[in-house]
Amino acid sequence: MNSSDAVREGLIPLLPRLRRLARALAGQVADADDLVQIVLERALARAAQWRPDAALDKWVFAIARNAWRDELRARGRSQHLFAPEEAGEMTADRASAQPAQQLELAMALAALPPDHREVVALVLVEGMSYGEAAELLEVPVGTVTSRLARARATLQAHLGKDA
Amino acid sequence: MNLIDDDTLQAYVDGELDAPSAARVDAALAHDAVLARRVQQARDVRAQLRAVFDPVLDEPVPARLSALLQPQSAQAATPAAPRVLPVDGGGIGTTRRRATRRWFVPGAALAASVALLAVALWWWQPGGDLVRMQGGQSFAAGALTHALDETLASEPKVNAPVAIGLSFRSTDGRICRTFVLRSPPARAGLACHESAGWALPVLSAVTPSEGGGELRQAASALPPAVQAAVDARLRGNVFDAQQERAARDAGWR
Repeated sequence: MNSSDAVREGLIPLLPRLRRLARALAGQVADADDLVQIVLERALARAAQWRPDAALDKWVFAIARNAWRDELRARGRSQHLFAPEEAGEMTADRASAQPAQQLELAMALAALPPDHREVVALVLVEGMSYGEAAELLEVPVGTVTSRLARARATLQAHLGKDA
Repeated sequence: MNLIDDDTLQAYVDGELDAPSAARVDAALAHDAVLARRVQQARDVRAQLRAVFDPVLDEPVPARLSALLQPQSAQAATPAAPRVLPVDGGGIGTTRRRATRRWFVPGAALAASVALLAVALWWWQPGGDLVRMQGGQSFAAGALTHALDETLASEPKVNAPVAIGLSFRSTDGRICRTFVLRSPPARAGLACHESAGWALPVLSAVTPSEGGGELRQAASALPPAVQAAVDARLRGNVFDAQQERAARDAGWR
């Protein structure tokens, strides 16, 4: 089995987690799945770079984070038009079953600066340790800690409002 | 005396402290109700985020994504499988994707969409009966559905709570109609008809200057967000009175 096949097969069970991470980063359902598609395409194209002793999930999550950052940059430059139909298509697929509080939390997350959003997505949603997130983001652990604390305070304020 | 700073408390909640440090927090928690409350709040953020995003794990994976991971032979046998793009040469995020995909929105627009959702939430209060949420989308409900189904802009109802503006066939084939809710605070939006009802891709507050008095001309009173949503969908002309009536008689399909 060559590395491409190994990556391809390894990614299949990771798809749900990858979609969850993408949802936390990109916010909206259609965007998140577009991001996942880009990530899969990149991962397959770069399969030769993956070392079997490295965890595939962290490798592909790093690709996801970088792809998301690339797109944010590209969008920022191009002043891409806001597609209004996405306004109603928020993060939560099961909005009808969700308390308003959770919708508000998803909105608050989407409004966080990218530095904060990615830390929340990796640590609080995906469940990475601070050290793993720091390694993926290539920043010191202390930076992860402080960004997470600030992001958390912001999100907490939104939860507290309804409590 | 409180020696537990925010970073330590957070690390405790996230299971990042070593055993002795965690034991110190445990000990402090036992007799510090304020600290216990802070711990609970930090835990709540995590738990609520998981409640928002964990359901994604149980969603079926879209076929276009799983198809990418089929062996090459299977991909060849599946014409619909998306092509794997080369990474180099600017394949990703350039022409094909720009042309065919919506992508996530930059900060300002995201803030706008958050603001719009805030409007949706504001409508979606207990007792509020004009908007319902389904599958993460806003849909018209109650009196708004009725107005969208029945009211013709060519036969305006002066005292009705909902004024209908433009009707047109969207670029995606659905019929869309703009509307204004007259009762203060005035709100405007776009509704597009689909099998599940009138989807509301955009909802926006109408500021008094935009509202301009009696809102008799619902179409001319549209806030920029609604106007942009119309512009993004409008191909050809808006319906005239005859077309509008015909569309209603055909059930807005």
